[in-house]
Amino acid sequence: MAEMIKLFVNGNEVEVEAGKNLIDAIGAVGIEIPHLCYHPALGADGNCRMCLVGLEEGGPPLVPACKTPAAEGMKVLLDADHIKKIQHDVLEFQLINHPVDCPVCDQAGECSLQDYYMTYDGQKSRMTVPQVTKSKKMDFGCGVVHDQERCVLCGRCVRFCRQITRTGELGIVNRTDTARVAIFPGRPLDNRYAVNVVDLCPVGAMTSADFRFKQRVWFMKKERGVCHGCSRGCNITIDHNREKDQDDLIYRFRPLFNEQVNGYFICDEGRLSYRDENENRLTEARLSKTTISLDRAVTASLKEFKRAEGIVILISPDCSLEQMVSIKSLAEELGAPLSGFSDGYIKKGDGDDYLIQDDKAANRAGLTALNIDSSQSAFEEALAKAGLLINFNNDLSLFYDESSLKKLFKEKRVIGVTSRDTKLFQMANLVIPVASFTEYSGSIINCDNILQTFNRAITKNDAPLDMSEVAALLGGPLKTNGDRYDKLKKIVVSLNDFNPDTIPATGLKLT
Amino acid sequence: MSAKVKTLERKGSSLAEKIYFVEIFKGMATTFGHFWRNLLDNSNLYVRHYPEVEPEIPVRWRGRHRLTSHEDGTVKCVACFMCQTNCPAECISIEAGERLDDKAEKMPVKFNIDLLECIYCGYCVEACPLDAIRMDTGIYSVTDNNRESFVLGLEELLQTPGAFSEEEYKKGGA
Repeated sequence: MAEMIKLFVNGNEVEVEAGKNLIDAIGAVGIEIPHLCYHPALGADGNCRMCLVGLEEGGPPLVPACKTPAAEGMKVLLDADHIKKIQHDVLEFQLINHPVDCPVCDQAGECSLQDYYMTYDGQKSRMTVPQVTKSKKMDFGCGVVHDQERCVLCGRCVRFCRQITRTGELGIVNRTDTARVAIFPGRPLDNRYAVNVVDLCPVGAMTSADFRFKQRVWFMKKERGVCHGCSRGCNITIDHNREKDQDDLIYRFRPLFNEQVNGYFICDEGRLSYRDENENRLTEARLSKTTISLDRAVTASLKEFKRAEGIVILISPDCSLEQMVSIKSLAEELGAPLSGFSDGYIKKGDGDDYLIQDDKAANRAGLTALNIDSSQSAFEEALAKAGLLINFNNDLSLFYDESSLKKLFKEKRVIGVTSRDTKLFQMANLVIPVASFTEYSGSIINCDNILQTFNRAITKNDAPLDMSEVAALLGGPLKTNGDRYDKLKKIVVSLNDFNPDTIPATGLKLT
Repeated sequence: MSAKVKTLERKGSSLAEKIYFVEIFKGMATTFGHFWRNLLDNSNLYVRHYPEVEPEIPVRWRGRHRLTSHEDGTVKCVACFMCQTNCPAECISIEAGERLDDKAEKMPVKFNIDLLECIYCGYCVEACPLDAIRMDTGIYSVTDNNRESFVLGLEELLQTPGAFSEEEYKKGGA
């Protein structure tokens, strides 16, 4: 626990954490100080003047809250008339050349300027001269669209590119009312975290080309999730909406702050991985290209089990711990060797020293923790001996090309349990649809051995089953989540204290 | 409570009334009286001869919707979704797209109003910041024999003309 200090806000005593600036310290107890340029990840810049607060006794009478550390006994004034006038005047300045095109602006509904105007300003423009016009709809690269007229020149995007990605593509050029954020001629944004500037932008100056005009933000429901794009397991907000007479669709992933895992940001690839949740999904079970019901698919699989001379089970390293333990028990029940072979998921040299990892599997640490063998030799050996392969959503096509897959599956029966209707699973004799990671609850262990849980965010119209439920239907002994947790605790020593309800939202560092 | 209560004597308690026989003829006499009178001369009827004679629709009447357009014929709507947000019946569904003329950045590529769900409250008209949707077509009767044709699309909404002049509409309180 950090050291606590006492200070006064508008005459009321509050207890806040020491060592933070006023915005963060007072913000943590629910008192908002308006600010545009300050962002905890980027530090205080002090250029927007929106966070000016009064100090009674000691120090200057007026200080920017972002640059003032909270101190014992400080008397902060937020609701005095002169502070209100400052906030009001600063906003009036910001809005002089702002186009106020909220109806067509994607930021409307989550825009700081809009919110602050409603809270602190609320008066009509007094300007009688025509507004300064600037460029609109500029392509900044990496799927970022910039509108210079809406910009409040807080410089968050500029600082992000300098401090976080250290690529420095953006800058503010010119002065006074001709100042604008710009790229260098012919050198657009070029980094793998670029779309974070869209989230950082407090107004609608930076918009995402991918999300542009897809939804108004107030229609979307927001759910916490964990990205399965690589083994980092970044925390995300899943913005989804079920439009009238349609399916529940995801419209965007946004980063969710988690100091332990990803901080404030996510990579662009992970951000766009929401598309895989919407598109190209397997929705119905298929037996040699004919659509069948789930019940019939299960019966057909059980028949296959009986007929097969030797079964081998392949598991995806993206599965949650619960699914892994269910499938492991199913394998034990069937007496089949279980493999987590997934060398194809590792893209050597793709990772960086920030968030992106070489290993694109979300839960490889889980495979290791459950002692599931992942070697290529063991998998190929077992498959050579077996007549039936049950593939639980493992994308073998990442490792083998089409011809070697055909060779591998020669004279074998293949049952695919998958969420995606890919070429690999079209080669299978029987496929069973399952939920994807936004549609089930579970827990995974990331590359830093941090255990994170996530809840079901999306409920599709024809909600497919969780993979562990499918494993239970196929004869797996673990029927309920309670069974799965008990078994998990037995196998994995470090999960002994593991109880899904007691894991903090920020994740649990396993030792 | 001090409302004036007037107690009326309940009719139908005498024996002749209870038998009904005489009363039926009395009633029929009234009915046939009206019948013959109106058959010979119907100019004094109190009811409208609908559908031969249509009602006069006032400017402020909330009829079927339409989308207005600029003078050059392009749609005024910028797909801000205010009407859809405000619609209590959730009968409007819009899909927005990039607009390439310089009128705005955004325009609707799809604009559907399901008239079977619409409750004609007029909130969409009030919510619109650009006067792009109006209910001034004067169309009060919407009939068909299949559900699909009650979903109005963008084209249909744009092509329906208003029933009143601009001055009349503005005077009507818009």
